[in-house]
Amino acid sequence: MAGKMKLKNKDSSFWGEVAKEFKKNKGAMIGLVVFSLVIIAAILALFVLDYKTQITKLKLAEALQPASWKHLFGTDQFGRDIFYRILYGAHYSLLIGVCAVTISTVVGSVLGILAGYLGGIIENIIMRIMDILSPIPTVLLAITIAAAFGQSLTSLMIAVGVISVPSFARVARAAVMTVRDQEYIEAAKSQGASELQIIVSHVIPNSLPPIMVQATMRVASAIISASALSFLGLGVPAPNPEWGGMLSEGRNFISTNTNMTFFPGIAIMITVLSVNLIGDGVRDAMDPRLKR
Amino acid sequence: MYRYIIRRILLLIPIIIAVSFVVYFIVDLAPGDEIDAIYGNELSAERKDELREELGYNDPLVVRYARYMGNVLKGDMGTSTFFHKPVMELYFNRFPATLQLAFWGILVALLIAIPLGITAAIHQNTLIDTSSTVLGLWGMSMPSFWFGLMLIILFALKIGWLPPFGNEGWSSIILPALTVGVEQAALLIRTTRSSMLEVIRQDYLRTARAKGVNERRVIYHHALRNALIPIITAAGIHLGVALGGSIVVESVFAWPGVGKLTIDAFYFRDTTLVVGCLILTTAFSSVLMMVVDIIYAFVDPRIKARYTR
Repeated sequence: MAGKMKLKNKDSSFWGEVAKEFKKNKGAMIGLVVFSLVIIAAILALFVLDYKTQITKLKLAEALQPASWKHLFGTDQFGRDIFYRILYGAHYSLLIGVCAVTISTVVGSVLGILAGYLGGIIENIIMRIMDILSPIPTVLLAITIAAAFGQSLTSLMIAVGVISVPSFARVARAAVMTVRDQEYIEAAKSQGASELQIIVSHVIPNSLPPIMVQATMRVASAIISASALSFLGLGVPAPNPEWGGMLSEGRNFISTNTNMTFFPGIAIMITVLSVNLIGDGVRDAMDPRLKR
Repeated sequence: MYRYIIRRILLLIPIIIAVSFVVYFIVDLAPGDEIDAIYGNELSAERKDELREELGYNDPLVVRYARYMGNVLKGDMGTSTFFHKPVMELYFNRFPATLQLAFWGILVALLIAIPLGITAAIHQNTLIDTSSTVLGLWGMSMPSFWFGLMLIILFALKIGWLPPFGNEGWSSIILPALTVGVEQAALLIRTTRSSMLEVIRQDYLRTARAKGVNERRVIYHHALRNALIPIITAAGIHLGVALGGSIVVESVFAWPGVGKLTIDAFYFRDTTLVVGCLILTTAFSSVLMMVVDIIYAFVDPRIKARYTR
């Protein structure tokens, strides 16, 4: 309660406090540095590497080479440099992770805020729809969506995004419900503020922290889900070097060449681990009660 | 208590109906239908249209859905266009394998997570605690399909102890179960640790200690008992996740379960089978969630009390 009040009265100091707490968290800072490096590498790769000659061009004479100074992680079955492909593929995972979570954050929060603030029939309808969506297992929902809209980057983003809409709706609704009955809302109402005004200027800012915590955490699981779907052949189509897809191709050669499966997995793991570390840091910084 | 159980069972019906409708509706949006899948280029476009009219493919969605669900109640989910066998038969032949994998996977997860989580909570903020947190984070960040492939490379291909694919006797389950187990354990460690931490701080534990109960008994008898409630719930949810989400692991190990069946059905564009698998699997995980809720009520007298009054 005290945190909420503080947030209301001294807005800047709440975020200042969060930043200070976050900086104190060693794991979170390591995560932030690593994640920034992944982002920089992903962007640089798009400019420095040439898609046609270095990423997708077949050089069968150089196929399945072991790691060397020329090919840091070796080459795949078509003689393509695995290291370059992993660097180039980074942007798919980042893009899917961020876009999918943006979709679910926006849709889920809007639904949750409406449900929590308006209550009554609207709340019932929204939350029952969420109840219906949530028991559908993640991969199954993605298969359903991929089956309907075909295999593409967009349907992958939508699939991964839709999966976490219910959990955002729940978090947002719960957050709004704690804010809804606060005195300052009553005060705003008595001053003649409209519903929309109250939602935009009071309810949303005050429900933001738990939604943001959820969003950071979800980026990590979105990246894993997306690569899992690509691994199953439901995601970014070949010859694009998406990490999950590369792993899936490598599966056919695991008895002779392990580089093709080993390195894309490490890339996924490092990226996801860094996001998880950031997520833990954000959670600890924003909600002191959850702290160990 | 019975009222609660009956209520939960009744609640299941609208959920299953709604979920099946959503699945049916989304899959229906896909271009192409079974007529195309079966006859492809064999029949002319006109003949295919006639067939569609005859077999009711042009009826409104709701009508087709109602007809479909009517058949489902009679135990008929249609015939797979790829395998040429009833969907129900295909699904239930594969179901035991998935159940087996989910069960052993969760068992592995509990065996890893409960001791680790408890130790971490008892030694809070020590090196042990930090290492188990890091271990959990690492497990959460590791794609299960990658871990599975690494296990295959190490234990099946390099050392040759275990079979890499398929289901040939008891040794085949070890690697898939480890993969599922490690993935689920990562999340369970956190639940166990935080649930244990919450209980450890309670007054009744201090009372127990003050009465001279030894530390072992305090932890395992007094604390763990109460800490178990959220752990059981989490394990139940994970079992549900393992049932539905084992697609990835099943496809890595070519494990002949329903997950593999679902993804194969998708590859073969076998819509009837896809819809059947999706509905059945979702129904099973909903039932499982219900069972978890009921067990939860049994374990926690506070919930039981609310409904017996």
